[in-house]
Amino acid sequence: MAVLAFSAGNVLVWIVWLAAAFACLGSGVAVISFTNPFFSALALIGNLGALAVLYLLLSAEFVAAAQVLVYAGAVMVMFLFVIAYLGGRADAPWAGGPSWQQIGAVGAAGTLLVEIVVAVGLKAGGRLSHEQDIHRSFGSPRAIGRLFLTDHLLAFEITSIVLLVAAIGGVILGAHTRKLAGEKTQ
Amino acid sequence: MIVAAWICLSSPLAAALAIALAGSRISRRGAGYLATASVFASFVAACVAFFALWGDAPHDRSHYSTVWTWLELGSFSAGLRILVDPLSTMMMLIVSGVGALIVGYSVGYMDGDDEERRYFAYMAIFVFSMLLLVQSGNLLLLLAGWGLVGLSSYLLIGFWQERPSAIAAAKKAFVMNAFGDATFALALFLLIQHTRSLDFDTVFARAPGLSSNHWLVNLVALGLLGGAVAKSAQLPLQTWLPDAMEGPTPVSALIHAATMVTAGVYLIVRTHPLFELAPKVEDLAAGLGAATLLLAGLIALVQTDIKRVIAYSTMSQIGYMFLGAGLGAYANGMFHLMTHAFFKALLFMAAGLVIHALAGEQDIRKMGGLRGLLPRTYWAFLVGALALVGLPPFAGFFSKDSILAAAMHDGWYGYLLWVGGLAGTFLTGLYTFRMLFVVFGGEPSPFVREHLIRPRRRGEAHHGEGPFSMTSTVAILAVLSLIGGWIQFAPLWIPVTHWLDVVAPTLPHAEATSWQEGISSALAVGLGLAGLVAAWLVYSRRRVAVPRLPFAQRALEHKFYFDEAYDLVFYRPGVATARLFGRIVEGLVVGGSIVGLGRGVGDAARGVARAQTGLLRTYALAIAGSLAVLVVVFISVR
Amino acid sequence: MTLGILGPEVSWYLAVAAFLFATGALGVLLRRSPLIVLLSLEIMLNGANLALIAFARHNGSGAGQIFALAVMAVAASEVVVGLGLIVAISRRHLDLDVDKLRTLRG
Repeated sequence: MAVLAFSAGNVLVWIVWLAAAFACLGSGVAVISFTNPFFSALALIGNLGALAVLYLLLSAEFVAAAQVLVYAGAVMVMFLFVIAYLGGRADAPWAGGPSWQQIGAVGAAGTLLVEIVVAVGLKAGGRLSHEQDIHRSFGSPRAIGRLFLTDHLLAFEITSIVLLVAAIGGVILGAHTRKLAGEKTQ
Repeated sequence: MIVAAWICLSSPLAAALAIALAGSRISRRGAGYLATASVFASFVAACVAFFALWGDAPHDRSHYSTVWTWLELGSFSAGLRILVDPLSTMMMLIVSGVGALIVGYSVGYMDGDDEERRYFAYMAIFVFSMLLLVQSGNLLLLLAGWGLVGLSSYLLIGFWQERPSAIAAAKKAFVMNAFGDATFALALFLLIQHTRSLDFDTVFARAPGLSSNHWLVNLVALGLLGGAVAKSAQLPLQTWLPDAMEGPTPVSALIHAATMVTAGVYLIVRTHPLFELAPKVEDLAAGLGAATLLLAGLIALVQTDIKRVIAYSTMSQIGYMFLGAGLGAYANGMFHLMTHAFFKALLFMAAGLVIHALAGEQDIRKMGGLRGLLPRTYWAFLVGALALVGLPPFAGFFSKDSILAAAMHDGWYGYLLWVGGLAGTFLTGLYTFRMLFVVFGGEPSPFVREHLIRPRRRGEAHHGEGPFSMTSTVAILAVLSLIGGWIQFAPLWIPVTHWLDVVAPTLPHAEATSWQEGISSALAVGLGLAGLVAAWLVYSRRRVAVPRLPFAQRALEHKFYFDEAYDLVFYRPGVATARLFGRIVEGLVVGGSIVGLGRGVGDAARGVARAQTGLLRTYALAIAGSLAVLVVVFISVR
Repeated sequence: MTLGILGPEVSWYLAVAAFLFATGALGVLLRRSPLIVLLSLEIMLNGANLALIAFARHNGSGAGQIFALAVMAVAASEVVVGLGLIVAISRRHLDLDVDKLRTLRG
């Protein structure tokens, strides 16, 4: 298992890590538990923040920054706009007795968790203990930019196309709806 | 001569095609005249062929002509091959001569019918088929003609299609004939296998080589006999002939009296070398003939339909011909075939005149006293009846007695047949004159008084008994029935036997001595007269009442229960099997499997479609579940 | 200069990522409001992202981080389309309940 290296700097890191990890997990559970979607969205923002901290601990500064700026700052704001617009209809997740769907859901999720742990542990168990040593510039914007424009140019371009498609889709979905004949409301 | 034979054969076919293709462009009368002219042309051509053959030396009278080789399989070949020899020219003359008279008669009889053209086309096809049968030079073409006459018979019996009884009778005739066709074909298969040919000359030359194989020769002869029995309505396949009277009267005259039903006799005479190799089968043929002639004679005693009496009479007389052929007296049998064609056609056509005059009524119980009202018909009928009973100098006398005499030579079996034949002459006299006296004798019955049609036409020379076409042809046949027998008077003067000697020499044990001929003739004539007198006493003078034998009466009326027996043994099981198959095989297996297949696919699809719930969460659960399974798979495999 | 990792090993991060993923899956499968479902999807994506970043650090290669950025962009696009759908549904006055939106039923 993990070798706990206790040194002064390390203790601080450990404490930060534990706090961030618990915040992450707690907000994740909160997202799926709240009945009011507004609170769920807020919980997700918290989740994103905790994740950003974890990214920083992993020397992924740029990604952490992007996470906070883009994800939490743009995407989640959009979410909150829509929730505010829709009026926050809610549903009780555990209403009624446990149905087959719910039992199946819990079972599937639990199985996935166990499997991921087992898979990762079996495949990479021994090697996970030895991390590479990295350069200072690892994870810096400079490194990311270089990688985007040299090794992973294709990913870069395709991502931009995906964003374009999403934008077009959003425009279409948001256009004034034409009344279709024989529309029925469920 | 060969050309004449081909013209004889193809003339009626050409007429049939012309009538069929002309459709309604030809008038109905015109179709009748065309058909009559074509058959008459056949007759003329047959005469030419006959006289040309007569000019040949006796041993040289066998001419083959092959137009086209149809089938060649290794050493076996069969083609469109006709044969002109004494036997075939004799049959050609009979068929085309009597056929021309009867087709001419039908112009008057069928006048006014809506479907006259179809009738004459069918008649022409029939004449063609019969000529094909008698002119063929190999057994394959004979079988083709055989089948075609069966077809024509079916078409003509069921001519009046609106009558269910006619349709049923046509089917019955065809099916029973098909049985004979099957046995015939089986015999041909055996012949092909062992003699590698179906040409007459080759088969008959190679046949004696097979005589050691008793099974083979007996089977071949039995097969041929089966075909002959079916076609000639002999026991046990005789039940179709009375029902065939549903067709128009000229059809009954031509097909079921003069020509088609005699094809069986022709077959036996033509293939006599094969029959001679199987003497037991020949004896069987003679026995069947004798049994049939007695059976038919008995049944004819209780028939009330004028045409059915004559039909049973035909059956009986063909029994005589089978008797003759079975004994080996081929020429006698053929001679009787010829005279029988004359007087039987005459009887049918005279009966047709009666039916025509009474607007379609055929029940003799309703008739009576027609002698004064239809005098000429009466005389024609009388001539035919006297010829049938075999009283001199009419035609039947000369032909029938020689057959009986031939039986005396053949040991105890022959004598048995002889006695049977004599008993048959008594019955013949009885039923024939019963019919005559009931129909023509006494006072006109109420029915006759009401319904008799006597069309008064200007310049009608025959007292309006029927149109000229009908009365003239009947008159010709009456003359032939009188003089037709004078062509042979055994044992003094036998040109017919000599004529056929080359082809079908009479077997030694069937040649009768003159005292045998004398005894047979005397007894036959005597018994015939006795029958006539008995009928006179019972039906004319009414001195003697009809004997009351209810059991016998019922048996005779039910035609010895043959129809019921066949119904029970063949028809009902057949229908039950067909229904069973229809229900199980067709219904369950075929239909069920197809329907079941469709339904099964539908049900499966519906079951699978239940996975398409439309619910997002179901799909997501499915994805998550499969993911969970796949991870396990990937872990364990790699 | 090169640095070693501070704090827990990569495997701990992976454990957190696994939990996040499972939690998100549970949310997707359990909740009926499409908004919450989308949010749970985001959690799943974030869990994956965390795993990617952790392995990037473990292997010392930046490809994981690049991939994580791409995932982020895709997540954003997906949210756009998803929210657009939800707004369109609500504009047609349909219930925002995934169990009731089943006209695609076979």
